[in-house]
Amino acid sequence: VTLTLALPTGRIFEETSELLTRRGVRLPESARAGRRLRIEADPFTFVLAKDRDVPTYVEHGVADAGIVGADVLAESRPDVFEPLDLRIGGCRMVVARPASRPPGFYRDLSVVRVATKYPAVTTRFFHGRGIAVEVIPLAGAVELAPVLGLADVIVDLVQTGGTLAANGLEVDEVLFESTARLILNRASFRLKVESMRALLYRLEEERVR
Amino acid sequence: MTRRSLLEIPSGVQCFFGEEARSRRDIERVVADVFRGWSYEEIVLPLFDFDDVFTRGGEVSSGDRIYRFIGRDGEVMALRPDFTALVAKVVSSRLARQELPLRLFYSGEVLRYQPPRAGRQEELFQIGLEHLGTGSVAADVEVILVAREALSRLGIDDAVFTLGHVGFALRLLSGIEDLGTRALALEALKRRDRDGLRRVVGAPALDLTDLSGGAEVIERARRAAGGCESLDRLEAIAAELSALGLEKEIRLDLSEVRDFDYYTGLVLEIHARGSGLELGGGGRYDSLLGRFGREMPAVGFYLSLDRASELLAKRGITSPDAAVSTVRSLREALAARKRGERIVVKP
Repeated sequence: VTLTLALPTGRIFEETSELLTRRGVRLPESARAGRRLRIEADPFTFVLAKDRDVPTYVEHGVADAGIVGADVLAESRPDVFEPLDLRIGGCRMVVARPASRPPGFYRDLSVVRVATKYPAVTTRFFHGRGIAVEVIPLAGAVELAPVLGLADVIVDLVQTGGTLAANGLEVDEVLFESTARLILNRASFRLKVESMRALLYRLEEERVR
Repeated sequence: MTRRSLLEIPSGVQCFFGEEARSRRDIERVVADVFRGWSYEEIVLPLFDFDDVFTRGGEVSSGDRIYRFIGRDGEVMALRPDFTALVAKVVSSRLARQELPLRLFYSGEVLRYQPPRAGRQEELFQIGLEHLGTGSVAADVEVILVAREALSRLGIDDAVFTLGHVGFALRLLSGIEDLGTRALALEALKRRDRDGLRRVVGAPALDLTDLSGGAEVIERARRAAGGCESLDRLEAIAAELSALGLEKEIRLDLSEVRDFDYYTGLVLEIHARGSGLELGGGGRYDSLLGRFGREMPAVGFYLSLDRASELLAKRGITSPDAAVSTVRSLREALAARKRGERIVVKP
């Protein structure tokens, strides 16, 4: 039985393909070239997708399984199984404020303006604490927003914090640690039990080491 | 103010025409015939009712997805998000004097707000049945047999029935005192998020998220967590289904608890190759009727007409259309119709 595996071409692509290679799941060279988006390499068919599209493919079942960051899952909350934390692509989802402002300063504002690529995560976090928020959705370069006075703080994924520092920002609070997850389509999990299990155990073995 | 075009549609609504509409009607007819063949009686249920019928009736997890409006007397009303609570209400009131067991089926739309995602429309067409007043293994098995026959008559012969029992997982999670923590654990379990579950409950002797397979999972669960009624019950159901020749079509999954909080025993999910979403599901809900004042055991399931229709189309299974004869006049038309022919009038 062939399994269709959706892989994220963004931030965690390198780490993902290294992990797969270590576990004997060979990703053809053509996947790296980045032109072909659907590659057959028995017993897998790889689908190379935008990070945020991976859960969509898996939820619809056009991919049986996928690898995607927990940040993306937190934002889109797809109805899929998430059996495995692959412990790669580690990042932190944070609130960051201008370094010139004191920690937690935004709590004194009646409405906090937050620039982010993660509007759902942001709204849940601030509303959960009873803080009114004006979400300013951006597609990238979120760090720019406080610099230009568009937002008071940002909610974003941070790896080293280098970009934050370069734009005069620092971490105010960590929302959660984000690592890559293996996600499975609910129907495929029932219908392709053996291959799904095999994939799961194979990737899990990696993690135990 | 911008003017909205009269042609604009609200999000979530849909209409069907042509081959698709025909196929949906045929599916409904085939499934209803199977249900009647097992002596399930049709019940036509109201499109809306008081809101608390659904919220107190068990629709808790989707409480925030209900379409509500204020009725003429100021009461909060809800468009039906689910049939089972309505069936429970009617059985506890209008049908209170009917002899048990009651076998009922329904067919129609339910309405829920849905995030715009995987095949999820806001109107969902469900055909389902409820078997009320019997708590036996035989009743559980009967509804699975009916579901299987209905699918097979539609041309879906390879459906997989995944059976679980909510009692098992809930027993293991009942040790968690704090209700908030227990809810987190349940959420993690629903996503089969092993690490998430471990963060909440620590590393247990038994990995609750990985308990699917054949009959051996029951033994594995028993060894690790001790025997219990739920495991015995599920084993009996599976054994009976195997004895009836369904061994290859059933799988067990002790991690399955489903989304509705009214299930108390068997839970069922139906899948078939080519459809990434469930074709149907159901289970036993022995305490729901009690909420309406008439304690009785019950079990049921639904089939999604939308997904069955999509799957049949994908597989190229279409219902053959009768041949059409062209007639030249309405007089000819009447004569041809008397003979039962399908006609089109072209003067």
